[in-house]
Amino acid sequence: MLMRRFVFVSLCILLTLGLFGCSSNTEEAAGADGKKKVTLRVAWWGGQPRHDYTSKIIELYEKEHPHVKIEAEFANWDDYWKKLAPMSAAGQLPDVIQMDMAYLSQYGKKGQLEDLTPYVKDGTINTESIDEKTIKGGKIGDQLYGFPLGVNVLSVITNDDLLKEAGVEIDDGSWTWTDFENLALEVEEKTGQYGSNGMHPPDVFFPYYLRTKGERFYKEDGTGLAYSDDKLFVDYFKRQVKLVDEKASPTPDESAQVKGMEDDFIVKGRTAATWNYSNQFAAFAQLTDAPLSLKLPPEQAKEKALFLRPSMLFSIPKSSEQKKEAAAFIDFFINNEKANALIKGERGVPVSSKIAATVKSQLSEEEKKIFEYVERATEYAGEAEPPEPIGSAEVIKLLKDTSDQILFKKITPEEGAAKFRKEADAILKRNQQ
Amino acid sequence: MAGYAFISPFIIGFLCFTVIPMGASLFLSFTSYDLFTPPKWVGFDNYKAMLTDDEKYWGSLKVTFYYVLAGVPLRLAFALFIAVILNRAEKGVGIYRTLFYLPSIIGGSVAVAIMWRNVFGNDGVINGLLFFLGFDKKIFWYQDPTSALWTLILLSVWQFGSSMLIFLAGLKNIPPMYQEAASVDGANRFQRFFLITLPLLSPIIFFNLVMQTISAFMTFTPAYIISKGEGGPLDGTLLYSLYLFQRAFNFFQMGYASAMAWVMLILIGLVTFILFKTSSLWVHYESKEG
Repeated sequence: MLMRRFVFVSLCILLTLGLFGCSSNTEEAAGADGKKKVTLRVAWWGGQPRHDYTSKIIELYEKEHPHVKIEAEFANWDDYWKKLAPMSAAGQLPDVIQMDMAYLSQYGKKGQLEDLTPYVKDGTINTESIDEKTIKGGKIGDQLYGFPLGVNVLSVITNDDLLKEAGVEIDDGSWTWTDFENLALEVEEKTGQYGSNGMHPPDVFFPYYLRTKGERFYKEDGTGLAYSDDKLFVDYFKRQVKLVDEKASPTPDESAQVKGMEDDFIVKGRTAATWNYSNQFAAFAQLTDAPLSLKLPPEQAKEKALFLRPSMLFSIPKSSEQKKEAAAFIDFFINNEKANALIKGERGVPVSSKIAATVKSQLSEEEKKIFEYVERATEYAGEAEPPEPIGSAEVIKLLKDTSDQILFKKITPEEGAAKFRKEADAILKRNQQ
Repeated sequence: MAGYAFISPFIIGFLCFTVIPMGASLFLSFTSYDLFTPPKWVGFDNYKAMLTDDEKYWGSLKVTFYYVLAGVPLRLAFALFIAVILNRAEKGVGIYRTLFYLPSIIGGSVAVAIMWRNVFGNDGVINGLLFFLGFDKKIFWYQDPTSALWTLILLSVWQFGSSMLIFLAGLKNIPPMYQEAASVDGANRFQRFFLITLPLLSPIIFFNLVMQTISAFMTFTPAYIISKGEGGPLDGTLLYSLYLFQRAFNFFQMGYASAMAWVMLILIGLVTFILFKTSSLWVHYESKEG
């Protein structure tokens, strides 16, 4: 009997201890330097290389700021956004979140993000060597909802061996869409490889096509589609269909089989050109045996179709309890030389001109190409796109579905144009309410 | 009092993870809720939009019904086939039972779905086998919406283990004397199977049919993994729950997604009800015999 009671009591004690063990230690001890200890949560999306070097930057930061402990939360692009939304509903967003232009409106306009202007004004985020125009990329109205980390420009990445084999050259200052089409066809004819990848995803390259024709994708206020002539849509997709038909571009199914950068067409030497943002070049160049180079996309000059785009931003949520510390971390990420020596422009060309110059001098010839390309493109660049409107996630998916249906020949480009316009306008209108 | 304490883990879990979330979802289904701003009451708008103005919704319903109608009977037939064989075997039944059950244990997992995607990939095992058999043209399983859906159906058929075990138990329960009597009367193997085994097994078949149908309607993981969350190609693998997930977490339409979930609940209820109604026509209960 006594034994049983003993077991019972000790179990109870164990249980209570366990409960205490589970509850987090809320008291914050003072750090060695007299500052209050804080824990910052920092979240980003990306691939393995980005996770690796970002973790190193975090270690560096913790060493220099002993009172700060950083919890990293990272995932790939898809999972990242699926995790972020519920966190936001629960008021549990990390203190520093990597933001994309496609989601800036969604989170910013719905009151989730803090305006960073005060932290810029009081110098927590030092903007001495950052162009005002670059910072504007993170603004909606006059609220700075995200601080740009790097600059990106659209580019055509070419496999120079394949181009030489096909005997074609690109004069990227002046080439036209027809030149591009002919080039792709010629590469296919001479080498049997694709002339171009399928220009994925359509939500990046169709808007670019519109810009070369002096049109825009979204209306400035986000209430609908801006381009009014469906012929543009039809022309764009007719060219895509033609390239697939002539085997100068992969079928949508083959594109869907690409699981990561490692088995991309350009990496495997199966295409002479791929369309992408400039910051992707570094990884492609690393993975590919053949020499690659960056070219300006077709017809960018006339309408100033190219534009500088924040590759990604850092935002601080309204729910964060240590906004100032979070801002200090952002400053470190942008202005610290050692940190940027680790980033090497993988998040786009650094926004600080001082840092960009330092980083560039440390890079290999391949890695420098991105910096040189962005410098060159800057001369041509026109007005930037405003942040994408609320509901754009749905419009992007709709455009992708429509593009698939056209390329799989389930509908004609004409039908696709009409269907896309009707549904996209409905989505955007619904999100205005 | 002690009794309540003992059942409290279940009660608390049931309240927190079933009753309250279901209530919340019923409420949300009448609202427009984007996770960021408080839900707005919109009455039946979600239901109306879904049923009258959403092509993709009807597409996903069609895909789901195709999946259920093709997958469940195949899976049950396969499970029964293996169970009958195992029932007749004398040696090594334990090992085979385990081997056949294995795919079901690891069935819902992400790893299996990833493996399955590679098995049917353009350079996967299946195309390799076909090449070995003399087909030199690769089949792009994921290029065509129907063949992509069939890879999902085959995956579900492959996971027949749990129904097989239940069938096996049912078969063991059929008294051997009926079979003996029939064979004395000159019934051959097929007659014995179709006229004696099947009717006696029908309650078990019915049970398996209902359970498998319900779980097939709710399939999510394989479709999500194999199509990388897209439901492609051309929405060919956009199962109902996958579309629901997209609405909720890609487009931030929690209200719409909740409404979809409730319609799904009603649909499953309806299908189960119909199955029960038909059961009197073909399910044979011994107690009814008079």
